[in-house]
Amino acid sequence: MDSEDDMQDAWGGESDGNLSNENEEEDEEVSQSNEPDYGFDDFAADDDINPSSRLPQSNYTILSEADIRQRQDEAINTITNFLSVSKMEAGILLRHFKWSVSKVNDEWFADEESVRKCVGLTATRAENRRRSQTENLKCAICFEMHPLSRMKASPGCGHYFCETCWTGYIHTAINDGPGCLTLRCADPVCGSAIGEDMVLGLVVEEDRLKYKRYLLRSFVEDNRKAKWCPAPGCEYAVELGFVSGAGSYDVVCKCSHNFCWNCLEEAHRPVDCETVARWILKNSAESENMNWILANSKPCPKCKRPIEKNQGCMHITCTPPCKFEFCWLCLGAWTDHGERTGGFYACNRYEAAKQEGVYDEADRRRDMAKNSLERYTHYYERWATNESSRAKAFSDLIQMQAVHIEKLSDKQCQPVSQLKFVTEAWLQIVECRRVLKWTYAYGYYLPNHEHAKRHFFEYLQGEAEAGLERLHQCAEKDLQEFLEGDTWQNNFNDFRTKLAGLTSVTRTYFEKIVRALENGLQDVVQGQGAQGSHVAQGSRRR
Amino acid sequence: MSGTTANSNLPRRIIKETQRLLSEPAPGISASPSEENLRYFNVMILGPTQSPYEGGVFKLELFLPEEYPMAAPKVRFLTKIYHPNIDKLGRICLDILKDKWSPALQIRTVLLSIQALLSAPNPDDPLAENIAKHWKTDEAQAVATAREWTRLYATGA
Ligand SMILES: [Zn+2]
Ligand SMILES: [Zn+2]
Ligand SMILES: [Zn+2]
Ligand SMILES: [Zn+2]
Ligand SMILES: [Zn+2]
Ligand SMILES: [Zn+2]
Repeated sequence: MDSEDDMQDAWGGESDGNLSNENEEEDEEVSQSNEPDYGFDDFAADDDINPSSRLPQSNYTILSEADIRQRQDEAINTITNFLSVSKMEAGILLRHFKWSVSKVNDEWFADEESVRKCVGLTATRAENRRRSQTENLKCAICFEMHPLSRMKASPGCGHYFCETCWTGYIHTAINDGPGCLTLRCADPVCGSAIGEDMVLGLVVEEDRLKYKRYLLRSFVEDNRKAKWCPAPGCEYAVELGFVSGAGSYDVVCKCSHNFCWNCLEEAHRPVDCETVARWILKNSAESENMNWILANSKPCPKCKRPIEKNQGCMHITCTPPCKFEFCWLCLGAWTDHGERTGGFYACNRYEAAKQEGVYDEADRRRDMAKNSLERYTHYYERWATNESSRAKAFSDLIQMQAVHIEKLSDKQCQPVSQLKFVTEAWLQIVECRRVLKWTYAYGYYLPNHEHAKRHFFEYLQGEAEAGLERLHQCAEKDLQEFLEGDTWQNNFNDFRTKLAGLTSVTRTYFEKIVRALENGLQDVVQGQGAQGSHVAQGSRRR
Repeated sequence: MSGTTANSNLPRRIIKETQRLLSEPAPGISASPSEENLRYFNVMILGPTQSPYEGGVFKLELFLPEEYPMAAPKVRFLTKIYHPNIDKLGRICLDILKDKWSPALQIRTVLLSIQALLSAPNPDDPLAENIAKHWKTDEAQAVATAREWTRLYATGA
């Protein structure tokens, strides 16, 4: 079986006549690049090829707890060296300036005095006089006299309290939350910072762990460039390097959760965060229910309660206790209906009124709501279907990795390392389902009057859908044969070529559609939706 | 002081503070612990001279929570008062009762701060929005209302 030709048939069948030339041209390239063309029509292709429609890995870094600690240490060391301060002081400065080394530097060198004052690094000591170890001091918290050995001074300011009171003070602060990281001296007018050393030197193990936890978390939670992965139970953070020009923030955590770094919703390329927020709001039951009620209910003409019409018949009976019988169309009493109004199944009182243009604003609004509801339902259903396909594909992928790959390896006498193409195919399917899903939100908000864009959008979406269907089919049905077949099959290599090829070409196509949509379909405006011209533009790869 | 079981392990600090409050009360302030609960104080503050509360006697309650002095005392006006930083439940907007609390502060300092708040209302950090607005738009009239309330609710009790 010549898998490549086979696929050409399967893919190329429906393509426009004017595309066939381009396809042939591509075929030549294909033999060189060893990447068969599976019939996706090129459009508006640019020459740079992103390896994935996700952000390139270099754009962000996944941080484990150990990584975070390392970064904190690095920042502290840098500040210690630049500013010639102690590590404890560097920590206080960094926490105050949200772990931005450059901000600490700038502020410090601009006005060291006011920075010191602001963060509580007082240079002057409250009490300088020497004390003898036998001297008794009164603690201003417990009001007891203690020998100096039981008293402790804050290293920053020299204010003495007894160790028990300091410990209680710090314990209370730690249990009040992350504010303990910027704890100040217990003296009400002092304001000197209490650093990590003093805290950790006094508290019990439990508080110690809590404090260290807050310290770790502050690096992510106070930092403008880092965020926790929102997946439940995940302990990784994601640090953003720089924002890509397209303004997309999709990242993949090491826990495999794929999310938008900016809005923390699931990844949503090619639509932007604002569209996602609007769409989610739209999907929330209340906002749509209102429209639904508006479209499907009218107030009872007698008791004014909203009445829902759920059957075809126009004869409505209001719910008890009212039980008023009326006509859905004209809202007149049903007793007025009959032969005179054109029979029980048509209300020409309404038709006549409508023809005279009498039907009121409420009716018009109801009609509009009904139309917009139908339009929304169209997009929502497809959005939701792709979401459930994505979820299914994801669990298939897990199953594949956990069970099937090994089984396949046994059956087909292939080392597991040679079967990566199967998981790669499934990863691609999951990714494509996600993209496809969001194209429906995109489509919903694409203005109706932009005919060229709308036309081109639907064309791209249709192609994407068909292409993905083929990949999905191959990864599911074709693979099944090799999983269930009794013996080793010699056409397994053909299958490999086909699936790997489909994966690659589908990936390329989806990357392009993502970029085109993120671009606001700008290219189509120039080309006025003439598909041929896009193909001509895009077919050459350097 | 009667030592019921609830009061038996009262920290030395509270006992000392109480003794001092009773033996050398601050001018215009009285605070005495309740018989049943030595952490609960009946407080009276005289309206400061030169303030719209002059001539009034204001009753407050003060409670020392279990965590005291690590946590601030809880204080509330019982007498109705027209003041931008005190709401109709008698709750007081005062920084040292919240984030600026320090365990080195005392009942005495808290009550002195409340007395000072009566002398210097701060409508820019309001608890009672309406009263604060009144204070900012027409201070003379707001002060007149405060006087009227003092006469109505804080005298001849
Ligand atoms: Zn002490
Ligand atoms: Zn101090
Ligand atoms: Zn994660
Ligand atoms: Zn987003
Ligand atoms: Zn009715
Ligand atoms: Zn009718």
